[in-house]
Amino acid sequence: MNDPWIKTHTFHYKAFCDLEQLTATKMEKGLKISLCLPTLNEEKTIAKEIVIFKSELISRYPLLDEIVVIDSGSTDRTREIARAYGADVYKAADILPHLAPYTGKGENLWKALYITQGDIIIYLDADIKNIHHRFAYGLLGPLLMHDHLKFTKAFYDRPITATDQTVRPTGGGRVTELVIRPLFSLFFPELTQILQPLSGEYAGYRDVFEQIPFPIGYGVETSMILDLYEKWGLEIMAQVDLEKRVHRNQDTKALGKMAFAIIKTFINRQVAMGMIDLKDVVHDDMIQYTLMDDELTPDIVTIEGLERPPMIEIPEYLEKYHQ
Amino acid sequence: MPDYIDKLPRFVEDLRSMMDIIITNVVLIGQVPAPTFQEQARVALFCERLASFPVDECTTDGFINPIGIIRGKSRSRSPIFVVAHMDSPFSKKVDHHFTVRQHTITGTGILDNALGVGVLLSLPEIFQRLGLTFESDIILTGVIQSMGKGNLRGIRHLLKTWSTPIRGAVCIESGELGRLNYYSDGMIRGEVICRVDPQQERAHHFVPNAIVVLNEVINQILELRLPLKPRSKIIFGTIQGGLKHGQIAHEAVLGLEIRSDADELVRGLYDDIKDIVAGISHEYEVALTFETISNQRAARLKYTHPLVKSAAAIMARLGVEPVSEPSESELSIFLSRNIPAVTLGITHGEGYQQLEAVMQIEPMFIGIAQILGTLLAIDSGVCDAIA
Repeated sequence: MNDPWIKTHTFHYKAFCDLEQLTATKMEKGLKISLCLPTLNEEKTIAKEIVIFKSELISRYPLLDEIVVIDSGSTDRTREIARAYGADVYKAADILPHLAPYTGKGENLWKALYITQGDIIIYLDADIKNIHHRFAYGLLGPLLMHDHLKFTKAFYDRPITATDQTVRPTGGGRVTELVIRPLFSLFFPELTQILQPLSGEYAGYRDVFEQIPFPIGYGVETSMILDLYEKWGLEIMAQVDLEKRVHRNQDTKALGKMAFAIIKTFINRQVAMGMIDLKDVVHDDMIQYTLMDDELTPDIVTIEGLERPPMIEIPEYLEKYHQ
Repeated sequence: MPDYIDKLPRFVEDLRSMMDIIITNVVLIGQVPAPTFQEQARVALFCERLASFPVDECTTDGFINPIGIIRGKSRSRSPIFVVAHMDSPFSKKVDHHFTVRQHTITGTGILDNALGVGVLLSLPEIFQRLGLTFESDIILTGVIQSMGKGNLRGIRHLLKTWSTPIRGAVCIESGELGRLNYYSDGMIRGEVICRVDPQQERAHHFVPNAIVVLNEVINQILELRLPLKPRSKIIFGTIQGGLKHGQIAHEAVLGLEIRSDADELVRGLYDDIKDIVAGISHEYEVALTFETISNQRAARLKYTHPLVKSAAAIMARLGVEPVSEPSESELSIFLSRNIPAVTLGITHGEGYQQLEAVMQIEPMFIGIAQILGTLLAIDSGVCDAIA
């Protein structure tokens, strides 16, 4: 019996900490690698991320060819600071400007495909307080060292005490454990082996990313996993233990909106795959209630679940990369 | 004028182009908490990173002070030491994550001494990129157990066990840029601890209050006559005591420091305070002790020492006004062993001992350039003429 995917496709970043070897492999394969940081008001963390990656993975070891910040329209000094530290900075709205403008992380990731030069693209959230270059080389390592892998996903320590009283990293955050894991368990049990499918850090080859659609908002991680799985199966994916990740905590209401977008994306994918048949439309409004002056008032946010098509279908992109 | 003096402005420019590497070292090392006696994690990271830079040897001594060695061109020259203390006054429970902005870095311990250690770690790469080579071996050392109750144990052990003569030393502190320390006061740092046993039978009809007892200790110390020459002072630095507003304090602690440029005066004041404590203990029928936390002997270079004069000239060339005060850091241990040494600060900052300490990035390049200049001065022989 073959070993399960989780055993053969789960790595630890330390297996790839020989940066000289990674750099040599990259050169040997003639690859270009881009790091993309999607931002929205990240002035407190963006400089630290850029300066560490630039130092360790450009100045000391030329593993990255570019650091690109795609910004959703920050109102703080995110873009100015990122530029000062040497990143290539773009406002998402200025990329492919003839398209209808959307705002969201997924939109930034999708547009990064058009802007970046890399054969491999590493996507990292820009709000990581304990940022370290392992976040990039850990994701990159399996892609460079194992030819069959096309996509890597991060997971982190979220320690729980096991029955033998040892503390082990497992599982994901609240939305992962309460939303996505139950859904995967119900419909795609094989995907439950991905420990943190919603982690915001992943890397992959351009020729994979360009062939899948990108939801513009929170659903992007869910759809990415489902689309990669449907097109190429789990075998092209791997997950990497990056140990501890410290980031700002989101309140329950914000997580509720995230869960709404993820469930909607999931349902859309299920319908598209013919796995379920909806008898009615699903709604776009997430309704939460707030108690103000002894009165419950609805707080309604519209989350349409818009998606960008696979980038390879965009003529400008085809012209830039495939001619 | 030595030729390295003219190179200093170019060093500043070259260092600016290495900003990402220097800041990364500062951030990565500083984000690992290292309260005194608990520096192991920071030491481990320091060694791991140091080994990835161009050093010839990377090791730890018997006290677990991390050491990097860059071999010099001459085997006959004694080594030059560059040291920065690894420990910080902040607990592991405090958030140590730094915030890097366009012109500043903010965070717990950035100015004491994350910047100093980060720059120390960056020196091998800086030497290589600036094409700097030395006749002497350069010994880069992060010393542990330096602050407070650590009582400079790391540097004491290192120098006690170092088997060869040492040519000279530069001690690195995060700030303030412009400090030029070349002498240290004699110092005894101690705690007066008052413990009151409420069950104890006394001739008095009341249970003494530990805070009131310490107040009496302070009053009697204030009555001591301190001479202006030799220069001397007693600093009341900390006081803690009691549990709540409505209850007599049964325990209180007063932290103080005796300083003078004359060791015998420090000893004399120490004995005076011991007598005061013994007298009050007897009078109030309480357990009152004066316990020494750390001490150091007075030692100095003269302002006319070639090392001091060279350091001042280097700072002047970089547009920095030297400010000299006594320093009770690693410097004192070098000087007490007749090893010429100075302490230099790297940049300007605010809130040194606060959780939100802020350092300025731009002056850092001048601060590092003065360290390079001082090392070149020592390597050219400014410490060799006068031991």
